[in-house]
Amino acid sequence: MIQKLKLSSLALGSMVKKELIIMTRYPVNFLVSFVTSFIMVSMYIFVTLMFAPQRSEGSLAGVGGVGMFGFFLSTFFSSTLWEMASGIRWEQYQGTLECLYLTPASKFSSLVSKVIPNFIWTGFNSLAMLLFAQALFGRLPFHNLGVAAYIFTMTIAGIFGFGFAFAAFTLLVKESAILTANFLQFSLYILCAMFFPFSALPTFLLRISRLIPLSYCIDAFRSTLMGYPPGFPELLPIEQELIIITAFGTVMPLLGYLLYKAAERKVRIEGSLGEF
Amino acid sequence: MRGTLTQFGWKTSLQVILSVILARLRLRSRYKGWLLLGLIIPIVMSAIIIFLGRALGGPRAAENFFLNTGTSNYVAYIILGSNVFMIVSRALWDFGFWLRREQETGTLESLYLAPTSMMLILTGVAIYNALHSIVNFFITFALGCFLFRVNPLQGNIPIALLFLSLGLVPLYGVSLLYGAMVFKLKEAHALIRMAQWVASFLMGICYPISVFPPFLRAVALLFPPTWMSNGVRASLLGVGFFFGTWYRDLAVLSAFCVIMPLVGYSVFLATERRIKRNEGVGMF
Repeated sequence: MIQKLKLSSLALGSMVKKELIIMTRYPVNFLVSFVTSFIMVSMYIFVTLMFAPQRSEGSLAGVGGVGMFGFFLSTFFSSTLWEMASGIRWEQYQGTLECLYLTPASKFSSLVSKVIPNFIWTGFNSLAMLLFAQALFGRLPFHNLGVAAYIFTMTIAGIFGFGFAFAAFTLLVKESAILTANFLQFSLYILCAMFFPFSALPTFLLRISRLIPLSYCIDAFRSTLMGYPPGFPELLPIEQELIIITAFGTVMPLLGYLLYKAAERKVRIEGSLGEF
Repeated sequence: MRGTLTQFGWKTSLQVILSVILARLRLRSRYKGWLLLGLIIPIVMSAIIIFLGRALGGPRAAENFFLNTGTSNYVAYIILGSNVFMIVSRALWDFGFWLRREQETGTLESLYLAPTSMMLILTGVAIYNALHSIVNFFITFALGCFLFRVNPLQGNIPIALLFLSLGLVPLYGVSLLYGAMVFKLKEAHALIRMAQWVASFLMGICYPISVFPPFLRAVALLFPPTWMSNGVRASLLGVGFFFGTWYRDLAVLSAFCVIMPLVGYSVFLATERRIKRNEGVGMF
């Protein structure tokens, strides 16, 4: 068992290393993702200036908290979704997906390894973005760090699960997956109110929001960090949101992986694993 | 002049342009989902900003916006901004990504081997892009106005159309500069992402460039889409032209129409020549 675990982590390490080597071969990409974070924050600030003329530092920091903490989670969501979808797709394009399946390495590690390097880079970028926002908005509220860390971990686990499910979808629908990723990303930006409070959503959209577990993650994460100001969390009391988030973080990875295995079995039977 | 195998007359040149337009249209029509996404993105982008604005300003959102921009019609202001941004973004995609795709699929060298000028092929790409962009602009603007309950028929529409159509010419100059960069650096995705964000920041999708510090404002004014975007908004929403009247702003945009394509094409040619001498155009 220990030997097996050791071999699995060795394989995962090698896969992550390979992904890191590829990433470092595209330095402009690194630079761009870093610079765009700062542009996004600056644009967000200009928008807030257009709509909120009477500002004191405190009120602006509150506004910044809602947007920036949502922004923070949204970057992880986008990065996982894209890496899972385009990672598999790219292996298909290059003709290396079938070769990977012929190795005795774990397929789970292969999937996770696609996300890890980008995830670390996204984390670094998002932190830099928060620091920059703090410099512009004034001090952002950072309350209840322990609970926020728990919500963050569960959300990330859930997002990973969602990523697995999306990888399964990519295996089945191939090129349309990239398009669907775009649709999903933009729809969830609005439905999960990632950059604004839920109170801004029209009633019919709010009803749909309440059906998406990620909405509760966003709501709970920013409300917790802001110290539960009046009106926050917006969707449910925090205790109930925590139950939903815990269920999302534990069930979604399992469900996602099961879906991936099912899709994998289907395309192997059909012989379309490497097809694109 | 009549066309021969090696010498093209105006008729054969037109045929080349038309073939490129048709090829691009055919390719695009094969991916209907992307067509739909092109209509949805500006609306989603506008919706995010509108919802954020409503959350920030509450019942005084329109009043606050008026104090900062000169119009209380923030919905139309933002929808127009997002749509003009999509035109810019699409021009960059259609040039930069087209070049990269041709390199990746190994067809760029074949295009260079065809007995025609690259200028004609690029003109075809530009015309295809203009058609696509303008059709999308009208559909998304109308759809956005319908969804957010704003009257789309207001202000001086002919002047707005003039700014919109004239603004496309320098935009293709910028796109050529950008194509040269993709040619040189190869990393089209990253460069496009970067260019999209820089463009959206400089041209002010949801704010006037008067909020910028002087240096940044000067940079924004050197970027032709800023003039297009402000011209369209000023004509329809009365937010004010940079030089007070529409014809002065239009004169600046016309100057860009002459300068930018010339600059863009000469930089593109110089880059192309250097690449042909070194690694070759097909290398990626």
